[in-house]
Amino acid sequence: MIAVLLDGLVAAPVVFALLAVLMRRERWAVRAAVLGGLFTFGWSVWLAVAANGTLGQSGSTVDVVWLGALDVHWRLGVDGISAPLILMTTLVFATALFSLVRHAPADAEGGPSRTGSLGVLLLVIEAGVLGSFLALDMVLFFVFFEVALIPMWFVINTWGDAHDAKARRRAATRFLLFTVTGSALMLIGFLIVRAEAGTFDIVEIAASYRPSGTTAFIASALVALGLAVKTPMWPLHIWLPDAHSKAPTVGSVILAAVLLKLGTYGLLRFWMPVTSPDWWLVPLVAALGVVGVVYAALACFVQTDLKRLIAYSSVGHMGFVVLGAATFTVGGVQAAVFASVAHGLITGLLFFLAGAIKDRYGTADLARLKVLYGKVPHLAGLFAFAAMASLGLPGLAGFWGEMLAIRAAVGQAPALPETTYTWLAFIAALGVILTSAYFLALMRGMLQGGPVTPVAPAGGSVELVADTVPAGEPVVADAGGTEWVTWSPLVVLTLVLGVAPGLLLTPVADAATAFLGGLG
Amino acid sequence: MSWVVLLLVVLPFTSAALSLVVGHRGEVAERGIAVGASALGLVLAGVVAFPHLGNAAPLGHVYASTAAAGPPIEFSVYVDQLTAVMLLLAHTVAFLVQVYSLGYMAGDPRYPSYAALISLFTGAMTLVVAADDLWALLIGWELMGACSYFLISHHWEQQEARAGAVKAFLMTRLADLGLLFGIIVLGARFDTYQISTIMGQIADGGFARDELWVPALLVTAAVIGKSSQFPLHTWLPDAMPGPTPISALIHAATMVAAGVFLVARTFPLYLSAPAALTVLALVAALTMFISALYALFTDDLKRVLAWSTVSQLAYMFGALAVGAYAAGVLHLLAHGAFKALLFLAAGSVVHAVGTTSMSAMGGLREKLPDTFITMTIGFGALAGVVPLVGFFTKDAVIGSVWEAARHGNLIWPWVAWVLLVSMVATAVLTVAYSMRAWLRVFFTPTATEAAAEQVAAELAAVEPHDAPPSMKVPLYLLSIPTVLGGLVVAYPQLIFGEGEYDLVHVGVSLVMTLLVVATAVLVAWQWQRSGGRDPWHPYVLPHPPVDRIYAVGVVQPVQWLARGVRLSDRDVIDAYADGAGAAARGLGWLLRRAQTGRIQTYLMVVVVGACAIAVMAGVIA
Repeated sequence: MIAVLLDGLVAAPVVFALLAVLMRRERWAVRAAVLGGLFTFGWSVWLAVAANGTLGQSGSTVDVVWLGALDVHWRLGVDGISAPLILMTTLVFATALFSLVRHAPADAEGGPSRTGSLGVLLLVIEAGVLGSFLALDMVLFFVFFEVALIPMWFVINTWGDAHDAKARRRAATRFLLFTVTGSALMLIGFLIVRAEAGTFDIVEIAASYRPSGTTAFIASALVALGLAVKTPMWPLHIWLPDAHSKAPTVGSVILAAVLLKLGTYGLLRFWMPVTSPDWWLVPLVAALGVVGVVYAALACFVQTDLKRLIAYSSVGHMGFVVLGAATFTVGGVQAAVFASVAHGLITGLLFFLAGAIKDRYGTADLARLKVLYGKVPHLAGLFAFAAMASLGLPGLAGFWGEMLAIRAAVGQAPALPETTYTWLAFIAALGVILTSAYFLALMRGMLQGGPVTPVAPAGGSVELVADTVPAGEPVVADAGGTEWVTWSPLVVLTLVLGVAPGLLLTPVADAATAFLGGLG
Repeated sequence: MSWVVLLLVVLPFTSAALSLVVGHRGEVAERGIAVGASALGLVLAGVVAFPHLGNAAPLGHVYASTAAAGPPIEFSVYVDQLTAVMLLLAHTVAFLVQVYSLGYMAGDPRYPSYAALISLFTGAMTLVVAADDLWALLIGWELMGACSYFLISHHWEQQEARAGAVKAFLMTRLADLGLLFGIIVLGARFDTYQISTIMGQIADGGFARDELWVPALLVTAAVIGKSSQFPLHTWLPDAMPGPTPISALIHAATMVAAGVFLVARTFPLYLSAPAALTVLALVAALTMFISALYALFTDDLKRVLAWSTVSQLAYMFGALAVGAYAAGVLHLLAHGAFKALLFLAAGSVVHAVGTTSMSAMGGLREKLPDTFITMTIGFGALAGVVPLVGFFTKDAVIGSVWEAARHGNLIWPWVAWVLLVSMVATAVLTVAYSMRAWLRVFFTPTATEAAAEQVAAELAAVEPHDAPPSMKVPLYLLSIPTVLGGLVVAYPQLIFGEGEYDLVHVGVSLVMTLLVVATAVLVAWQWQRSGGRDPWHPYVLPHPPVDRIYAVGVVQPVQWLARGVRLSDRDVIDAYADGAGAAARGLGWLLRRAQTGRIQTYLMVVVVGACAIAVMAGVIA
C-alpha cells in the first residue's frame, strides 16, 4: 500500500505535467497544473496518514534494482524526517500553482505569458524535489536533485524580473552553475562512500558504516561542500540573492521554501551518516552556519531591494539549520527539520507578499515603498505578521527551530568541543537579535514610513513617495480573495506549529533515533 | 478547575482573533467583542483566583506534552497565591482599560487592531503568570514585547512612536536572551522545564550557596530588560508616544510588572543564589534614584509617570533582593492600582488638553473635577501619603530593607544599606515630583501674561472638557483599591496564607511620614515663591548617557560591519563567482543553445546529464 503511495507521489506531478502539456488551450493547461498541485498535496497527506504508524522506523519500502551494473536501486521510503518536508513541499507547491490562476507572471521578454508552461515546469520541479526527499539511494537522490534544478533555470530566465534582462540571465546562469557544480562534487563524494561502504543504500550505511580515515574524510567533505552550495552555507551563498530576487514570485517562493531544503535535508540524510563527529570538519560546518547567521543579518541591514533582503534572510535561517545538524544530536536533527519546515512556510509567505507588493507598485525598491500600513493595511498587516514569524517570535513557527538549534548547540554530542559550541550558540543568539533589528527597520521604513528619499519617477508606475497616507481611497487594491486563499494555509500552519511544536518534534525525534542510531 | 484556567488562557487570544476578523463589521461588533471578552476574562480570573488565595493548595495541571528528545516541553499551568493575585490584577486593569478606551479611542479607525492587541497582551500576561512550563512562560514573555511594539507604534505617523517602538522591542528582546539561556541551563540541570518542580527541588535544599548563580543571573538579565531597569532603563520613557491607556496597561499590570513577577516566581532560585540578589539590589538602588531625578525635572506629564514606574519597580526589586517576598509583591499590586489610576487620569487630562506638556496645563482643577479628585488620590498613593495604599506598601518595603541592613544574612549588609539610603532619598524625590506635577496640572494659575496668552490660546483651541462616563468610571473604580488597599498589609495571610509577615514598622512609617510632610511643605513653599508656576527652574537633564553608549558601541559598529558585508559580497565573492563563470563559458554556450528550444532541449540536457552520471559511475566503480 505505502509502496504504491510512494511511487505515486513522484509520479503524480509528472502525470499532471504531461496532461498540461497535452492541453491545447492555455487556460486548460493552467487548470491541469493547478489540479496537479492540489492532487499531489492530497496524495501526500494520504501518504502521511497511511505511514503514520511507521514514521519512527527508517528503511526502504520500495527497493527495485534500477541500474544493476552500477548497483543503483530505486529505493524509496518515508520516515519522520522526510514526511514533514514532503508535506511542506506539496503544500507550498499547491499554493504556488494556485496563485498562477490569478497572478501569473508575464513573460520577461514581452511574449505571450505561457503560464501553462510555467505550471508544467513547476510540476517537474515538484517531482524532482519529492523524489529527493523520498530517495534512500545516494545516486537516486542525486538524480532527483538534478531534475529539480534545471527547470528552475527556465523559470528564472523566462518569467523573471522584466526590468533587467542581463541581470536576470546572470542570476539564472549563476544559480545553475553553482548548484550543478555542487551536486557534481556531492556525487563524487557519494561514489567514494560507495567504495568505502560497499553500497548506495543510505539506511544500511547509517546503520553499519563507521567512517574513519582520510578517504572517508574526503568523501564527507565533498558531500558537505556540494550540499553547502545548495543550502547555502557562507561563503557559498553568493548565487542566492540574485536568483531569489530576479525570479518571478512563484519561483522565489519555490526556491526559498523548497529548493533550499534539498540542501538541509541532504545534510541530515546523506551527510551525517557518512561523517564522524570526531573530525574537525564538523565544528567547521557549525561555525560556517553561525557565520552565515550573523553575516546574512548584517547584509540585510544594507539591502535596498525587498526581495533581495528576504533572500539574504534565508541564508541566516539556513545557518541555524546547519548549526542544528552539526551538533550530531537528536535534538539537533529536530531543530534542523523544524527550522526547515518553518522557514518554508514563513519565507514562502514573505515572498508571496513581496511579490504582491511588487505587482502592485511595480518595484521592490525599499527607497520607494513607504507607508504601506496606510495604503494597503491588510497586506501590510500580514507582512508584519510574517516578519514577526521570521524574526523568531515565540508562539509562531519560526521560534522553535532556532531555539532548539541553540539548545542543541549548548548540549552538543560528546565528541564535539564543548566551549566552541557554547560560543557558537551565543553568537547565533546574537544573530537572532540582529535579525529582529533588520526586520524592525524594514517594517519601520516600508510599512510605517520614514525619511523619504527623493527618486526620479520611473516610467508608468504609481508615485509612491509620500510621508502621509493619501486621503480617500487607497491607490491600489488591498489583498484580494484569491490571495487570501493562497496565503491562509501558510498563515494558519505558522500559527499551529508555533503553538503545538510537538506535532512535528515527536515524529522527527523517533525517526532520527532510528535512522542515526547512535546519536545521544 | 483546570478547564476554567484553560478557558481563561485561551479566551483573550480568541477575542483578539475575533476582533481582527469581524471587528471591522461595525461599531457594536468591535466594541462588544473587546469589552465583553475582557469582562468575561475578569469573571473567569475571579473564579480561578479566589479559591487559590490564602491557605489554599496550588493547582497544577498538564494539558499537553511533547515526547521528544530532551526534557518534555509542556502546556501546563500552575495556580498559586502569586498567580491568583497577578491574574486578578492583570484582568482588572485590562477590563478597565478596554472600557476606558471606548471613550478615549472613539472614532479611531484603527480601533479593531488596537482592541485585538490589548486582548493579545492580556492573553500573553495570563500565559506568563499561569504557565508552569518555562517555554510557555517565554512565549507569553516575548509575545508581550511584540504587543507592546505594535501598540507603542499605534500612531505610526509620528517619528517618536516608530523609534520608541523599535527601541522597546530590541532592548527587551536582547535581554530576553538571558531568559532563553537560563531556560536551557535550568533544563539541562534539572531535566525538566516545569517551574514548580524546579523551584520545589531548589527549595528542598541540597544546593550549595551560589551553586546556581549562572541561571539566576541569566534570568536577572531578562528581568532588567523587561522591567526597564538600569542599564536598559531608557526604553520605557521613550515608549510614551503610545496611546495613554496602553501605558496604563504596560505599566500597571503587564509587561514591566512581569519582570517583578518572574523574580517572585523563581524566588527559591534567587534565595539560593545571593550573587543574583546582590546584583538585583545594586541595580535597583541605582535605578530608583536616577529615574526619580529624571521624573523630577521633565516637563512631560506622561514621562513623569513613566520614570516613576521605573523607580517604583526598583522598589519592588529592592524588597525582593532582601528576601521580603510579601512586601515586594504587595507593592507590585498597590503600584498596579495607583499607576493604572494615574495613567488613565493623565489620559483624560491629555484627552482634554490635547498635549502631554505640563507647560500647557494648569488650573484644570475646576475644568476637570473628576480627574482632579482621582488623580489627587493617585499622586498621594505614589508619594506615600497616609492612609493610601502606597504608604503602607512602601513602608513595608523600606522597613524590610531596614531590617535586612541590621540583621539580614542574605546579602551583604553594606548592599542593604546602599539600598536603604537610595530608597529614602528616592521617597523624598517621589514626593517632590508628584507634588510638582500635581500643582502644575491642577493649580498653577497662568501667571505671566505672555504665558497666559499662550496657554489660553492652546486651551481655547481644544476646549477642555471632562471625560465621558466610560472614562470616568474606571478612574473611580481604581480609586477604591488605592484608598482601601492598605488594609491588606494588616491581613497579609488573606493573600499569602498563614506565615510570619513583618510588614508594619511603626518607627519607619513615622520617619517616612515626617519626610513626606517636610518635602511637601518645601515644594509648596518653593511653588509659592515662584509665583505659583514651576517650583524649580525647568532643567533639561541630558538624555540618559547610556543611550549614547549604545549608539556608539553597538549601533554604529553594526552599521560599519553591514557596509563591510555589502562590499565583500559585491566585490570579493563576486570575483570568484565570475571566475567560475568564465571557466564555465562552454557550459554557458550550451545553455544559450538550450534556451532556444525550451522543453525539448531541456529534456535533452537531462538525458545527457544522466549519461554523464552513468559514465562517471562506471569509471569510478
